[in-house]
Amino acid sequence: MNKKYLSYGIFFLILLILPFFLSSRWVSVATTFLIYSAVALSQDIVLGRAGMFNMGHALFFGLGAYSTAVLNTVYGVPILLTIPVAIILPLVFGILLAAPIVHLRGDYLLVTTIGFNIVFTQALKNNIFGVTGGPNGIFGIDVPKIFGYSFSSQTSIYFMAFGLLLLTLFIIRNLETSKTGRALHYLNEDSLASECVGINTRFYRLFAFGLSAAIAGLAGVVFAVQFSAVSPEAFNFLQSVLFFTIVLVGGPSSIEGVLLGTFFMFVLPEIFRQFAEARYLIFGVAMILIMIWRPKGIWPAKFGRIPKYVFKD
Amino acid sequence: MDIFLQQLINGLTIGSIYALVALGYTMVYGVLKLINFAHGDLVAFSAYVGLVVMMQLSGAISSSVIIILLTFLVTIVVIAISGVTLERIAYKPLRKAPRLSAVVSALGASLVIENGIMLIWGPRPKIFPADIVPNINWNIGGVYIGLMQLLVLVISFVLMFVLYFFVNKTKLGTAMRASAIDQDAARLMGINVDKIIMTTFIIGSSLGAVGGLFIGMYYRGIYFNMGWIYGLNAFVAAIIGGIGNIPGAMLGGMLLGIFNALISGYLSSSWALALTYVLLIIIMIFRPTGILGERVAEKV
Repeated sequence: MNKKYLSYGIFFLILLILPFFLSSRWVSVATTFLIYSAVALSQDIVLGRAGMFNMGHALFFGLGAYSTAVLNTVYGVPILLTIPVAIILPLVFGILLAAPIVHLRGDYLLVTTIGFNIVFTQALKNNIFGVTGGPNGIFGIDVPKIFGYSFSSQTSIYFMAFGLLLLTLFIIRNLETSKTGRALHYLNEDSLASECVGINTRFYRLFAFGLSAAIAGLAGVVFAVQFSAVSPEAFNFLQSVLFFTIVLVGGPSSIEGVLLGTFFMFVLPEIFRQFAEARYLIFGVAMILIMIWRPKGIWPAKFGRIPKYVFKD
Repeated sequence: MDIFLQQLINGLTIGSIYALVALGYTMVYGVLKLINFAHGDLVAFSAYVGLVVMMQLSGAISSSVIIILLTFLVTIVVIAISGVTLERIAYKPLRKAPRLSAVVSALGASLVIENGIMLIWGPRPKIFPADIVPNINWNIGGVYIGLMQLLVLVISFVLMFVLYFFVNKTKLGTAMRASAIDQDAARLMGINVDKIIMTTFIIGSSLGAVGGLFIGMYYRGIYFNMGWIYGLNAFVAAIIGGIGNIPGAMLGGMLLGIFNALISGYLSSSWALALTYVLLIIIMIFRPTGILGERVAEKV
C-alpha cells in the first residue's frame, strides 16, 4: 500500500513541476490531457465500474462547458459563480436522461446514448433558444478571477486543471472504498445476483450516471476556460467515442489504466502530429493490436485477493 | 399530396439503401454479438472501389449495362474479401475476450479503413460520372420517379427477398440461424461455426458493397468519412427493427428512410438528423428490443 502512495506522490510531483519545463504549446496539451483524464475517469464510473455501455459522455462534458459559456457571455455571470450550475445541470440531465433507459441491455443502451449525444450537438448547431451561437459556438469567455487574482496565464489554467484531476481522483478513491463502489462492482459482475441480495440496481445505476455527469460538467468548465471558447464540434459523438476508447484501451475501472489510456489516445497523437495524415491509420492498427494482446486494457484493474485454491489450472 | 408521395418515393429509395447496409450489421450481430463499427467504412470503401472500376471500364467498354454489371461484380468480390480479412485480423483473435474489447477493435478497424481511403484517394470528395445510368424520369400523376431510383428499389427488394429465402429455406441459412441462437450447441450438431461466421461476413459485406455503390450512383458525391454517418444511420435502422432480426433490418431501414424524407420535406432538413435520433430514443423507451423484437439468445 505504501508503494502505491509513493508512486502517486511521484506522479503528482512530476505533474506539479511539468509546466515549468514545457513550451506554451505543450503546457496547453498537458492541460487538455488533465481535463480529458478527469472526463475519462468520470466516464469510467459508468462504463468500467457500473458496466453500462455509455457512448454519449461528451454530452455531459459539453453541457458543463456550455452552461458556463452561456451564463458568462449572455448573462455576464462571473465564471466561478457558474460552476454550481455547470455541475448541477449535467447532474440533473444525467439522471433524467438515464432514468427511462437505464434498464436497457448493453448495445441498446449504447445506441440510445449515441442518440442523446447527436440530438445534443444538433440542437447546439441549430442555435437552440438562440443562445448557443449555432455551428460556430461561443467566443470570448472571461478569465476566472478570485480575490483579484485572474487565471489568465496558460500555467495558471494548467494548475486549475490539475486541481480538477486531484478532486476527481479523490472522489473516485472514496467511491472505490465505499459501499456504493462495492455495489457498483457487484452489479457490474452480475446484475441479477446483485438484485437478489437486495442491491437496488436501478438506484445505483442512476447514481453512477449522475456522479459521472457532474464530474464531466465540472471538467467542461475548465475546458471552456482553457480555450475561452466552446463549439459543438468539441462535444460531438466522435469525442464520446474517444472517451469510450480511452477507458477500454487503458483498462476499465483502473485509475492507472484510464490515465495511461488518455496519454495513449490523446497525447501520443499530438506528439506524432508531423505524420499528420498517416497517424490515425497507425492508431487504428495500434487499437486492434492492443485489444488482441491485452483484451482487458493496458493496465487492467485488480480486484481483491481471490485465494489460489479457488482457481483450477 | 404530391409532396407526400414524392417524399415517400425518395424515402423508400434511401430506405432501401439503409436496409441493405443494416442487413450487414444485423447479420454480424446475430452471429458474433458484435457491433461491427467498421461496416460503414467498408460501405464507403466500396463506393471508391466502384468508382475506380467504373472509370477504368468506361474507357474500354461502350455499353453502360455491361459496365454497371462488371462494376457491381468486381466491387462485391473486393469488398467481400475485405470483410473476411477484417474478421480474420480484427475480430477472430477476440472471440474469447470481453465483448467491449471487440468493440474497440472494430472502432480501430474503422479508423484504419477510413484513413486508408483518405491516404489513397485524398480528403476531397469524389464525384461519380453522371451519364452511366441514363437520366430518365417518369411523371406519374405529378410524382417523379427516376430510372436510378427504380433500379435501387427493384434490386434491393430482389436482394432482400433472396436473402430471406436463403436464411429461412436453405441448409446453410438454417445453420446460420442455429449459430446465432447458440454457438456451442451448433458446434455440437456438427456445424462449422467458423465457416458460418465467414459466410455471414461475405454476405453482409456484399450487401454493404451494393449499398455503397447505390450511394455513389444515387447521390454521386462520395467522401472518405461518409462511412460514419451512413453506417450509423443503417445501424440505427437495424436497432429500430430489432437487432439480429433480418426482416427487422429491412423494416427499420424503410421506416428510417421515409421518416427522414418526410421530415426534410415538411419540416427543416437541419433538424432531420436530430429528430431521427429522437425517434430512435422513443422507440427504445417503448420497445426496448426494437419493433419486431430481437432474435438473439440471451443468457442469464
